[in-house]
Amino acid sequence: MTITEEAITEERADLLSRLGLDVQNDATIGRVLSTGSIAEATERADGTMEATIRIKEDEYCWDPAILVLPHGGDLELTIINDDKNTHACLLPNNGGPKFLGLLNHSKGKANITLDGPGYYWYSSPAGNDEGRGLTAAIVVGGEVPPEARLDRPKQPRPSKSIVKEIVKE
Amino acid sequence: MTLEYVDAGEAIDHVALSAVGGAAPVTDNVDYERILNARSESKNWLTYYGDYDGQRYSLLDQINTENVSKLSPAWIFQAGQAGHIAGGSTYSFEACPLIVDGVMYVTGWDGWFWAIDAATGTELWRYKHAIPFDVSLCCSNVNRGCAVAHGKAYFVTANAQLLALDATNGKKVWQKTIGDVRAGESASLAPLVIKDTIITGSAGGEFGVRGHIDCWDLETGDHRWRTYTVPKPGEPGSETWPADGEAWQRGGANHWVTGTYDPELNLYYAGTGNPAPDFDGAVREGDNLYTDSVVALDVDSGEIKWHYQFTPHDLWDYDSTMEMTLFERDGKKLLGHFDKNGYFFVLDRTNGELQHVTPFVDRIDWGVITRDGKVTPRKYPDKEGEPVHFFPGPAGAKEWTHAAYSQKTELFYVPVADVGATATRRRREFKEGMPYWGAAVQVDIDDMNGSVSAFDTYGEEKWRYRIDYPMAASILATAGDLVFAGTPTGEFLALDSRTGEKLWEFQCGSGHHSSCSTYSIDGKQYVVVPVGWGGWLEGIVPGMSANGHGSALIAFALPG
Repeated sequence: MTITEEAITEERADLLSRLGLDVQNDATIGRVLSTGSIAEATERADGTMEATIRIKEDEYCWDPAILVLPHGGDLELTIINDDKNTHACLLPNNGGPKFLGLLNHSKGKANITLDGPGYYWYSSPAGNDEGRGLTAAIVVGGEVPPEARLDRPKQPRPSKSIVKEIVKE
Repeated sequence: MTLEYVDAGEAIDHVALSAVGGAAPVTDNVDYERILNARSESKNWLTYYGDYDGQRYSLLDQINTENVSKLSPAWIFQAGQAGHIAGGSTYSFEACPLIVDGVMYVTGWDGWFWAIDAATGTELWRYKHAIPFDVSLCCSNVNRGCAVAHGKAYFVTANAQLLALDATNGKKVWQKTIGDVRAGESASLAPLVIKDTIITGSAGGEFGVRGHIDCWDLETGDHRWRTYTVPKPGEPGSETWPADGEAWQRGGANHWVTGTYDPELNLYYAGTGNPAPDFDGAVREGDNLYTDSVVALDVDSGEIKWHYQFTPHDLWDYDSTMEMTLFERDGKKLLGHFDKNGYFFVLDRTNGELQHVTPFVDRIDWGVITRDGKVTPRKYPDKEGEPVHFFPGPAGAKEWTHAAYSQKTELFYVPVADVGATATRRRREFKEGMPYWGAAVQVDIDDMNGSVSAFDTYGEEKWRYRIDYPMAASILATAGDLVFAGTPTGEFLALDSRTGEKLWEFQCGSGHHSSCSTYSIDGKQYVVVPVGWGGWLEGIVPGMSANGHGSALIAFALPG
């Protein structure tokens, strides 16, 4: 048998669906991580951020699978389990992780604090919920405070020029 | 019909679902005076090296050459790890536990800090800082320890934060950002309390950052001073960097291991790391001060009073961050340093004047340093794409793990690594936050050995305890005429400090890559060692990188 590589030009979402990577028990047994939706947190006037994360029925996936925060700080989460199975939520937090039990069809809240920038995983720490797909990311954007930056001219970065005026001259 | 959700309430602290009580006895009377005299109260291990002099020597002698054969585990604390973390394959204990009046304070990987009953191993409280999964770590997710003073416990995190915790319950008192993770900076050293301040250093030399040392107010966290270890154009030392280039901006020289301190001279002795890029010297012609150096800083101002560079224009990744051990000989204030480059240096610590240099490992071929300090490089990556093999490899003849010095025997006890490496220069363009090595590097996997070696202060070897692998854990010396050392294969050893004879060993179940300490409670002496195999194993001992991981803290004591 000869195996050849072929460039795939489909949109990523279509490809995930066609190959059965974004649902339970298709190509994979569970669902490949980070194949769910992406959403941004909203920010209140006082700088506190808000978002809702949810487990939909039979998806074993946090929705969104990637939650993006504009900067580090306090985040208020509404957490909903729409699944017909019991799960849980273990969230990163400065000081120690936060835990919420999630019975079938339940709803709760969590307040967490995270530094930025960087990204963090959270999950449902029960059985192998994490491997089936209930592992998701919270991405914290932004920069470190000006006083913590290096005293040097602005440096080139590898990414597609999203570098803002961040490094003091 | 819409079904009402079951109320799941509000998320709780995860620690509430454990047996951890959340409170420790008050230890709020640790002040500068006590730390100045730390060795005189050897029942505690009050500061990173046990004392400001960096000797890792305890006056405790209940456990001694006569009875050490009866030493056995008193308790085991197992930390474990759950979920996705940065460096999930390489995380490790690298800490030295502090013990203050019966309470042990120990840090782990990924933002963990535990307070433990030092007599029983019972966890009293825990703090966990959330560490980004994608933080830049050259080597692994590690932390080397903490400081305790005035009722607070201090430590740094992998995402370059300095935290002050309430020592009675682990709650945060204040937090400061001490580096830029977007630039590739992180932090891993144990901070050091001096007077009413606390000193930190940065990590990230493999990402082309500009190293710095910072001083903070102990009570408030206010910033006192920052000293960069690579000078800007026009500053002293800048003539050792290309005049028209950008190399200084990415020059490295990070202070990622705790320094030592002479209170009479008011000097903090900070070791600095490799220049960046590690192996491509053509983009940074010159000696590249203050990389691979000791810089003596005035602790009140941060001013560099003197410096000594151990490897000028480093092309082998020979950091000099490791301990600068302070000792006296013939009434002279001296500083001893076992460098990655395979040589033992003794300096006059009042002015940095070199006393003598001697090799401490069998195989050195990267170059030669004469007894009076003349450096002649011989083998180094020079031509693009051409492999060059050299000894010692980039983890050095002694990695960051610490030697000990016994005031009783007047000998240094050194964890020696004898392994080479091949580096092939591969130039790369600098991009902020990306690794900046300038070479492909492969450390030997089938030709290595190591030892605990004893040297007098002139560098003459007195004995050697050989093992088949490079040593990768710190040494502890005690007045019980014992030297304690952990091996990569898991044995925790007690050697006779006068002969090197092995008197006792215990198989801890995983390799050693941390710093043990000793203490006493109610008249009973303990030796405690963090165990767990990880860290920069592909550099230190890649031939052992598939060993079991482990993550335990084991305390030993005599029966009864």
